[in-house]
Amino acid sequence: MNAKRTTLSVLILISAVGLVAAQNSSQDKIEVPGSEGRFKSSATERAQRRAYNGAPPVIPHEPFGAACVACHTGTGVEVPGIGFSPPSPHGETPGMTHMSRCQQCHVFQDYTAIPFTESVFEGLEQDLRQGDRLYPGAPPVIPHRVFMRESCLSCHSGPQAREEIRTSHPERTRCLQCHAIGVANTDVSPQIKALSPGLIE
Amino acid sequence: MVKAARKNKMKRRDFLKLLSMAGYGMVAFSCADKDKAEQMANDAAKYLGDDAVKWSKAPCRFCGTGCGVEVAVKEGKAVAVRGDLASPVNKGLLCVKGYHLPAFLYGKDRLVYPQLRNANGGFDRISWDEALDLIAEKFGTALKEHGPDSVAVYGSGQWAIFDGYAALKWTKAGLRSNNIDPNARLCMASAVMGFVTQFKSDEPMGCYEDFEAGDDFILWGNNMAEMHPVLFSRILENKRKNPSVRIIDIGTRWTPTSDYADTFLQMEPGSDLALANGILNLLVQQGKVDQAFIEENVIFKRGIEDLAQIGYGSFGKDAERYTFKDKGQNSSFEEFAEFLKTYTPAYVAQITGIPETQIKNLADIYGNQKRGTVSLWCMGVNQHTRGTWMNNLITNIHLVTGKISRPGNNPFSLTGQPSACGTAREVGTLANRLPADMLVTKPEHRAKAEKIWKVPPGTIPAKPGYHAVDMFRALSRGDVKAMWIQVTNPWVTIPNLNRIERKPNDGRFIVVSDIYPTPTTANADLILPSAAWIEREGMFGNSERRTQHWNQLVDPPGEAKEDAWQIMQVAKRMGMGHLFPWPEDDWHKAMFEEYRSFGLGIGKDLASYEQLKETRGMVWPVVDGKETLYRYAAGYDPYVKKSKGVHFYKAKDYGEKAAVWLRPYHPPAEMPDQEYPFWLCTGRVLEHWHTGSMTRRIPQLHQAVPRAYVEINRADASKIGVKSGDRVRIVSRRGKVELPVDIDGRGRPPRGTLFVPFFDEHTLINKVTLDAMDNISKQPDYKKCAVRIEKV
Repeated sequence: MNAKRTTLSVLILISAVGLVAAQNSSQDKIEVPGSEGRFKSSATERAQRRAYNGAPPVIPHEPFGAACVACHTGTGVEVPGIGFSPPSPHGETPGMTHMSRCQQCHVFQDYTAIPFTESVFEGLEQDLRQGDRLYPGAPPVIPHRVFMRESCLSCHSGPQAREEIRTSHPERTRCLQCHAIGVANTDVSPQIKALSPGLIE
Repeated sequence: MVKAARKNKMKRRDFLKLLSMAGYGMVAFSCADKDKAEQMANDAAKYLGDDAVKWSKAPCRFCGTGCGVEVAVKEGKAVAVRGDLASPVNKGLLCVKGYHLPAFLYGKDRLVYPQLRNANGGFDRISWDEALDLIAEKFGTALKEHGPDSVAVYGSGQWAIFDGYAALKWTKAGLRSNNIDPNARLCMASAVMGFVTQFKSDEPMGCYEDFEAGDDFILWGNNMAEMHPVLFSRILENKRKNPSVRIIDIGTRWTPTSDYADTFLQMEPGSDLALANGILNLLVQQGKVDQAFIEENVIFKRGIEDLAQIGYGSFGKDAERYTFKDKGQNSSFEEFAEFLKTYTPAYVAQITGIPETQIKNLADIYGNQKRGTVSLWCMGVNQHTRGTWMNNLITNIHLVTGKISRPGNNPFSLTGQPSACGTAREVGTLANRLPADMLVTKPEHRAKAEKIWKVPPGTIPAKPGYHAVDMFRALSRGDVKAMWIQVTNPWVTIPNLNRIERKPNDGRFIVVSDIYPTPTTANADLILPSAAWIEREGMFGNSERRTQHWNQLVDPPGEAKEDAWQIMQVAKRMGMGHLFPWPEDDWHKAMFEEYRSFGLGIGKDLASYEQLKETRGMVWPVVDGKETLYRYAAGYDPYVKKSKGVHFYKAKDYGEKAAVWLRPYHPPAEMPDQEYPFWLCTGRVLEHWHTGSMTRRIPQLHQAVPRAYVEINRADASKIGVKSGDRVRIVSRRGKVELPVDIDGRGRPPRGTLFVPFFDEHTLINKVTLDAMDNISKQPDYKKCAVRIEKV
């Protein structure tokens, strides 16, 4: 109903605060060595595994039956010979943690398959802008939907975290204490609202 | 500026306006790269213009669950979806098909203009005017020369309500023929006849909240983890919170559902009839039936049980037309108890292959009044030569135990298509039906429809038309001369496809409306390009009686038009424009309000157009703007006048009680023998929907399951000398296909059973299947026929 208005507002807020942030970039930016090169490759890689920004990523390796969580544990593990297995971000969806059937949403791809027909679908691109801040130096608000991404550290910390979104303070595990959910109201379930006193309405 | 805004306590919106006036600003991204920053600022500006990403609600286009999605539209194209957190159906979650939903609109080979078959067998582009004139002429000629039995409309449970209603009205009141039937006949007809024979009104009494309220979930031949994944997730979540929750999976092969079940009971194909009777027998013998409930709410009925008289609809006297009718007689509890005595645990164990202890356990579960029991089924029970009987038997168990129309206690039939309920069943686009549970065979029902439609009395014929399988047999015979097929793909899905092969210049005229080329458009004389899903305004009705509306969000490609528009245009050209008297650019609301008037005041009340536009769907009956989660239940259903308990008010013929039907075990139509020693079962996979004409055009789904395959037991495979990936030939008495072998994959059949998914138009498993049907619903059995397997 008012999704358009709120989405618009958020987008304006993101870009507008960007202005402020750019002016204060020296105090604002977290320097990650070599982030430039890494950023490009990882963003491309991320996009390749998704039909659009927000789509569940496909499984980049042959799945080992239904035992996904054997490697994709709460923190992720180094699997010898394969690499680091990222943890699932679906940790603590309030009231909705039936994430035991991974392959309901994540599927392995047979890239050798003869294409059925060509697709001209162009998915929503990844939004590369950072989350906005209420004032310079304030903790940035969360620029994406939190539903099914409740386990913040699975993407924002650890070896699997892309450097540009890696937190400088993974030891402070209660992320929502300081980082408000800055997306449109329609995005947020009542349970999340209850957990997010800093939610921008 | 920011500080000023905070000081003055400006409202956020004004603050934003101010900032946006000051310029869209730079982004906070690392500004070392100036070009990048500039480009992103431009991108941001683009977001803020008219082309901003806009999210809107719609139901998912695929299965009967009816998940709510929010669709992102950018620059006139759907670019993303997300699960709708406000939807009571899925509460934000989707499955892999749902997450890739918008891509189905953007296959490169969309049909974008009408095409007519030419003398060389190819197709030429023609204009809409030429196409519509031609349909009017061909249907008009058929009517004039061969009468109303020579025209037919074959529709779909994927029709939006508007399309189905337009098609129904045009066929029954315009063409004055009852030859309209949907593909839902192949999918849900047994469930329809189950509910109708027992409650005199179609569709379940329960709702999706049963998934949280129930304790024991009995799945009858139902691979819910793949076919209704989001609903299965709701059960899994209930189980996570309440470890005592149990899932009992009764099936003919191990599936991903079995992985999550507490107990998997492997039964012989078709033996579910014996199992249900065995459970009923134990409940009666052990005194676990609710006598007070039966006394108050239940009557007993018995139909024809003679196998020779009933037949299977595919060979012998029924090979051309299957018109068997069941005649019910009154029975009694005593006769029922006597009838059941045959089905002792030992006898049932012998037929089903399920151990006696497990049969007793099932009876204990159903008989336990302290725990809520929900029975779930879909194609395993419906695509069954005695599918109506099997629907009756499951509901019988709930009726004799009184575990019905209560939260967490219901027989719940799941639907396969997004509007099998909303369109095929509620609008009644079936050969024998009219909207809101009405039948063409009843004079008072025809009169009501004629009055609402403002057509002269006697317009609607009283004789039911062809049901789906007979319709295609009649087409092959040449009795049907002109046929219009919309939103479905019968040249992949009709059982025993060999019977409907077309010959050139066969004198028939077949119109097919679709969005992509399919084996069905290849058999058409005229192909019409349709607008799909959010390319037009629409409504679907899901498994739990929830009607959901969506707005048009993007333009259809090329000259594609919605199916209802196509029908109304032809009607106007045939002089039947009075049936659709609404302005051409504004008819959806008027049409819906007319349709809605059929069900008002009789317990089939749909929500108002305005309410449906605003909400995430409403569960009918909707009275005074309030939905009814539990039908027939005091305290929930406004039609129930009792203060407690249940009231089956729709069954006027039964004294407003529900009927328990005595239904025996009959063997399947074809069983393995020496020549054809394997059972063949067909079905779906999670990643593909129906015939894959949409999902196969989505790269992520196609690459997940690029082709059909045959599941075979490892022991059988080693006996034949094949391993996974090897090609084999599956041969039945009717046809053959070649497929790669899959051993110990997602599905694991027992020895002697094969499973093949039907989505792959390049390997048509329906050339192998048998066109045997249910005796009452006339729904074919795709789950059981005999085949042999050969190494290629």
